Amino acid sequence: MIFGRRRSRNPLVIALARHALLVAVLVVLLYPLLWMVGASFRPSNEAFGTLSIWPEHITTQNYVDGWSLGNLNFSRFFLNSLAITLLAVVGNVVACSMAAYAFARLTFPFKRTMFALMLGTMLLPYHVTLVPQYVLFNELAWINTILPLVVPKFLATDAFFIFLMVQFIRTLPQELDDAARIDGCGHVGIFRRVILPLSIPALGTTALFTFISTWNDFLGPLLYLVRPETWTVAQGLNGFLDATGESAYGPLFAMATLSLAPIVGFFLAAQRLLVEGIATSGLK
Amino acid sequence: MFRRSLAAGALALGLLATGCAGGTSIGANPNEGADGTGDVTGNIRVSWWGSGPRNEATNAVIDLFKAAHPGTAVEGESADFQAYMERLNVQASSANMPCVTQLQGRQLNDYTTKNALLDLQPMIDAGTIDVSQIPPEVLDTGRGLDGKLYMIPYGAAYDALTVNRTLAERSGAGLPADGYDWDAFADWLQRAQPGLPDGIKAVGLGGGLPNNFIAYTAGRGASLFADRQLGFSEDLLVEYWDMWERIRGAGVTTTPEADGEEPDQTEQRYVAQGKVLADNLPGNALTPAQKTLDGTQPGQQLVTLPLPAGPSGSGNVLFTSGFSIPTSCDNIPTAAAFIDFWMTDDGAAKAFLSSNGAVTNTRHLQQQLDDPNLPATKRAELQLYQKIVAQNPVSVLYPPGYQASFEGAFVRAYESVVFGGTPTRDAARAFMTEVNAALASS
Repeated sequence: MIFGRRRSRNPLVIALARHALLVAVLVVLLYPLLWMVGASFRPSNEAFGTLSIWPEHITTQNYVDGWSLGNLNFSRFFLNSLAITLLAVVGNVVACSMAAYAFARLTFPFKRTMFALMLGTMLLPYHVTLVPQYVLFNELAWINTILPLVVPKFLATDAFFIFLMVQFIRTLPQELDDAARIDGCGHVGIFRRVILPLSIPALGTTALFTFISTWNDFLGPLLYLVRPETWTVAQGLNGFLDATGESAYGPLFAMATLSLAPIVGFFLAAQRLLVEGIATSGLK
Repeated sequence: MFRRSLAAGALALGLLATGCAGGTSIGANPNEGADGTGDVTGNIRVSWWGSGPRNEATNAVIDLFKAAHPGTAVEGESADFQAYMERLNVQASSANMPCVTQLQGRQLNDYTTKNALLDLQPMIDAGTIDVSQIPPEVLDTGRGLDGKLYMIPYGAAYDALTVNRTLAERSGAGLPADGYDWDAFADWLQRAQPGLPDGIKAVGLGGGLPNNFIAYTAGRGASLFADRQLGFSEDLLVEYWDMWERIRGAGVTTTPEADGEEPDQTEQRYVAQGKVLADNLPGNALTPAQKTLDGTQPGQQLVTLPLPAGPSGSGNVLFTSGFSIPTSCDNIPTAAAFIDFWMTDDGAAKAFLSSNGAVTNTRHLQQQLDDPNLPATKRAELQLYQKIVAQNPVSVLYPPGYQASFEGAFVRAYESVVFGGTPTRDAARAFMTEVNAALASS
């Protein structure tokens, strides 16, 4: 035996071993991200030459070239993405929480059927409804506007978030509603004064997931925002690639690195709510 | 209650399924026979695929067109090739294709058979689009299954054997001789391999590359398609895969695993990274591939050669990109004027500079070759195109469904040979059955 025969019971050794293991796993998980950040500081034609994270020849030219893509620059794409994402977050939080309250607390005909239908929409792949949606929005002359990407969010079309919040609201004691009702609250009052303040973790989770999915969405903006001045960050990143010609990987990695900043920032701000939301809504 | 919910759910799903199952035709053609005459004014949309440099070149041409035709406005729409096609399919389903839509011969009939594109011959006859400088065999790549001209090809791409000349010379094998065939190609690989550095193979495993097979078929005088079915024999495909299995068995190719992991983008291809001696790349990939090699293996030089020939001659075929006008276009005179301007204006050709395959207008091609400031790799791309056109390349007419059925099935079938040990005969039979069924239903 090279190592000791019995396991150490020293808490310090155990803690060190545990942390070493976690750090090792973390390095493996973060390696692709770190490689991308490293590649963003390498000359474009050296991007793929090495597995090393640290660039041999450091340059910031990729950030300069990437920021000034074509006749526009990335600040425009960031602003576009930010506007769409924030509206989508507000829409989903407001509309999905109201729909969830209805399913969790109200009694109305065909409630179970409608809930089943709502859950059934989660089984439909996005591509199934893609063409009918496009035809509809084209008829409404909404192409080249952010309306197709934002308006549906205000109509509670994300069944996943409704389900998440229904699960959460069901865990809140009905007695709180009864107490509010005795104090004169109607459904609006109960929703606004009781349910919403207690549902912050679920609302935070909804906001976070909506932020990430909207910020990263490519297909929706690709279809509906065709003018370059309306592009989002995801479209701007795609603008560096061309399978039939010349791609600009250095600027792509540079802008991809920058595009992560809002997501990381939002996640850091909302991670406590995310953990609470997942823990208390029964989602795994 | 549960039964009622179930029934309602089933009804809803049924309605959705019915609603999603539309017909395949875009609809009537209100512009049939339009000849493009009329006032060149108003707004049109123009779409193309490409990244930054091509976008800038295209926008420069658009600016020139607007300056030459006051009163017109042109909105550009671009995306990477795959994203572009995804968007175009959705636009077509809603009769919302741009008035000037860029297409390739490989997808053209996906749209012509759905009545989505206009016949452009009346515009040529009326003189609104001038194609007199395009070689007839190149122009033919814009025809549909019915023989009508639906696309004016402006850029011609071709596949080329891209060879790392530096490594080839160091290996002692040199370059393949002019007019080499597939046997000579295999022989050249085996002569080169012993002289290559450790870890570098002579060629990327190419048995699963559809374009290699297209070249093999053309060189043997066989047709890739006959109407809406495969036009070559099962024996020919078996012969082709057996050839690649012999090459693979000689240890001169990349492994199937490495081949499966190789990305599509030029800059990530092994030959651009200096990791293989030679591979099949689009001819217009020479410039970005050389730029990449300059960074990863400074001093090494790439060169492009025609693909191996066969008993019937050249194996090279042209993959053209061009402009079409959809039947739903509401400003045909301006769309026709834009295409004509793109095809004939010297300033436009100079601004675009063969950014998507070699310019098909022979006058413009010569102007670009005569330009002493033309970059060396671009010059090599254009010269090889000239050489290929001089050999009267075969024009392949792709049926609808080609891209969706042929290419993926071809790759899968060969992978079943190299990974699963399927006999080439069985793989070929399965491939032909699958693709013929898919093409018949497209």
